[in-house]
Formats: sequence, structure tokens, C-alpha cells
Amino acid sequence: MIRPLEITLPGDLNEALSVLSKNENAGIIAGGTDVVPGLRQGSGRFENTSLLIDINRIKELKGISISKRGISIGAGETFSSIIADPVVKKELPLLVKACGTIGSMQIRNRATIAGNFVNNAPCADSVPALLAYDTLIEITSLDGKRELFLREFLKSPYKTQLKKGEIVTKIIVPIPEKEYKYDFYKLGRRRAVAISRITLALLIHMEGNLINEIRIASGAVTPIGARFSELEKFAQGKSVNEKLLKDISSGLGKNILDITGLRWSSEYKLPVVQQVFYEMLHKTIYGGSNE
Amino acid sequence: MNNKMITLKFKLNGKRVTIKTEPNIRLIDLLRDKFNLTGTKEGCGVGECGACTVLMDKKAVNSCLVLAPQVKGSSIETIESLAEGELLHPLQKNFLSHGAVQCGYCTPGMVLSSYALLNANPAPSEEEIKEAIAGNLCRCTGYKQIIEAVKATAGELNKSKKKKK
Repeated sequence: MIRPLEITLPGDLNEALSVLSKNENAGIIAGGTDVVPGLRQGSGRFENTSLLIDINRIKELKGISISKRGISIGAGETFSSIIADPVVKKELPLLVKACGTIGSMQIRNRATIAGNFVNNAPCADSVPALLAYDTLIEITSLDGKRELFLREFLKSPYKTQLKKGEIVTKIIVPIPEKEYKYDFYKLGRRRAVAISRITLALLIHMEGNLINEIRIASGAVTPIGARFSELEKFAQGKSVNEKLLKDISSGLGKNILDITGLRWSSEYKLPVVQQVFYEMLHKTIYGGSNE
Repeated sequence: MNNKMITLKFKLNGKRVTIKTEPNIRLIDLLRDKFNLTGTKEGCGVGECGACTVLMDKKAVNSCLVLAPQVKGSSIETIESLAEGELLHPLQKNFLSHGAVQCGYCTPGMVLSSYALLNANPAPSEEEIKEAIAGNLCRCTGYKQIIEAVKATAGELNKSKKKKK
């Protein structure tokens, strides 16, 4: 049973924001793929929620457009429409690959991009790709708009910078200036509809045999989505050989261990991370299918 | 807190409907309990098995993950809308003839996921068929017969389209 509650379906952003600011016990629902099971299981997240604001009809939260600053994706866009968008496909293939692994067709048809990161669950599959692309997010309240990087927004597991009365309204992904090669890896108990155990995202730009730039991000295996800037700096400008790829991969394992500390699953996950990342690097640099 | 009833209008299997309901139920409860459309099955109740799949504005969704008030103004199609009287939809016919139905519990969802796929993509590859039904679990058939049935239907529908031209 779902606790008694009211649901309102505002048609524009201002209406949603004013309802949100007036009601102490209001929560937001978009695709509902996370909220509805939470409500049914009586999750503590909703123990005070008596009003849900459905934001699916708000046109300001929809649409994908391109500007000088990058590709803007409305917070309420579903994964299905993001994956199918020709601009996103062309400019952000790593994001397309990551979003394509989310849930199932039924989930991707409902679940929204902001819904994936707004509760900062470590297993959010779009987050490593968004971090690799240095994504900005726009937050709106009755007082106005503010922008911050996704990596700043994600504070600690299940905690973000979102304040009362605020709604995430869009994400802005800078258009990559270089032709990056990319790969995304997801390990779950099965391919579809499984909570991720490990996700890894990679963008790499080569100049001949030199790594001109590399961006590495993880999810699920770290408490929140993470970028590894020191490791990226270490690899930058180096010429590729087997030893370097092994050093980067074992470096990633060490970095992750530094973040998580030794856990019951480390003995299993760390060798997997190192081996998988080595294979990702190899495949991405030397070619082979990205599918 | 008492539960305020709401009046909900939407399109159900092609007809405009109006229903009074509590707001804190899911689409699957609305369909099964208020409209007696029991073809939609509940399996896991958390969006992992696909037994409750219906079409919402032509897209496959898990009806266990949609709250009833969220369907306001949209168009919902359930398994009951596919056959015309006694005449089965080609997908249903092919599911039967290919042995894609065993216990039958996953079948309504499986058929609707396939139906949504064929509407959007009349000539899917095997990989695309697998992707479309990856969110529908079947513990009987091993999926092979289901994939064959979808392929056969795509072939038939395309042939009959060409004939009409």
C-alpha cells in the first residue's frame, strides 16, 4: 500500500515552484521509477511526504537544444528521448552508451536524466558519463537560477546541494572540442534491469601514440560518482605502451581503494576494476567495437 | 490524513474514460481493480519483470511504476485492446503458433513490448527485438520462441503492407 497522499500536476515551472515553496511536505515525482517503489516499500525518504508534484507536464523541463555553451537537456527528458536525439548521438556518444544500459525499455521510457542523479544514489548509470563530460546543472527556485558542476552538486551518498524549494531544471553538457574515443562499462547481476555493481566511463584523445587527454570516471564501485584527476594528469602526455596501460589500470584500483577503504567486496571488485579498465583502455586506444 | 478521491480522465484502449479513484494507487491497480482489465499482470511490483507492461502514449511502460493520477490526459493501451473480437492480433497468433506461450504469465507484457517495438520499428533486427523485451522476464520459454514469434510477425506485417501498396 502507498501512504495516502495528494498529487498535483502543474503545467508550468512557476506553478510547480510556488507549490513546492508553500508546502513543507511536498516532494517531486517525474518518471516515478525510483519514487513509486520507494513509496510502496514505505521508504523513510517519504515519511513526511503528503503531496507529490508531478513535473512531467512542465514544458520548461523538456527539450534538447544546442548553444555556444553546450548541449542543454531538459531535466525531465527521458532516457529514451536522449538516446534517440541526433545531436546527443553525434556529440555525446559516451552518454548515449551509458544511458542505453539503464534499466529496460520500459524504464528508459519513463525515467528522466535529472531523476537519475538528484537523489545521488551511487549506482546511477548516467553519472560517470556526465562527470566525464564536465556537466553543469541548472537549478531554479522562486528566487532565481543558479548553476554548478554536477561534481559539486553530488555531495555524499544520497546527499546533494539541492535546497528546499529548488528544482533541477536542466543539464548543460559542454560540447567536446576534440574527437574523443570513449567507452562505458557496467557490471550488474544481469544485463537488463540490474542495479550496477561497477560502472566505469572513459574519454580519451590520442595524438599519434601520445595520450593528449584522458578523463576517467566511476560509479557504484565508489560511494558517489567520481573523477580521477590525479590519475588523468599522470597519464596525460605519456606515450602508450603495455606498461603504461597496466600502470593506469592498477592506479585506478588504488585510487578507488583509497576512496572506499577495504570492504568485504574489495577482494572481488578491485581485480575486476583493474582488469576491465585495462581492457577498456586497450580496446579504446587500439580500436575494436564499442558495442 | 484522509484520502481525497479524485476524478481522472484519460483514454483507455481507444475510448475516453472518467473514473473516481483514490490518488495513492498505481496504474496497474487502476486497470485491474477499477476497470476489471485483468490481462495486465503483477509480477515483481518494482519494475524488474515487465509482466505489468502497458502502453502509455504508445510507449511501453511498467504500470506498477506509474501512479494513477499521472495518467491524466494520456492514452493507455492494455493487452485487451489487441484482438478484434475473436480475431487475434498477428503477434498473439504467432506467439501461440511458435510455442512462445507456456505458463502465460509474462505473455501480455511480452506481447505489448513487442507491439510497441513493431509500431516504432516495423523491421527490427534480432538484437533490437532482444533489447525491446530485455525488461520482460520469462521463466518458461527460454525466449527463443518469443523472438521467433516477433520476427515472424514483423515479416507478415511487412508483407501485407507491401500487398496493400
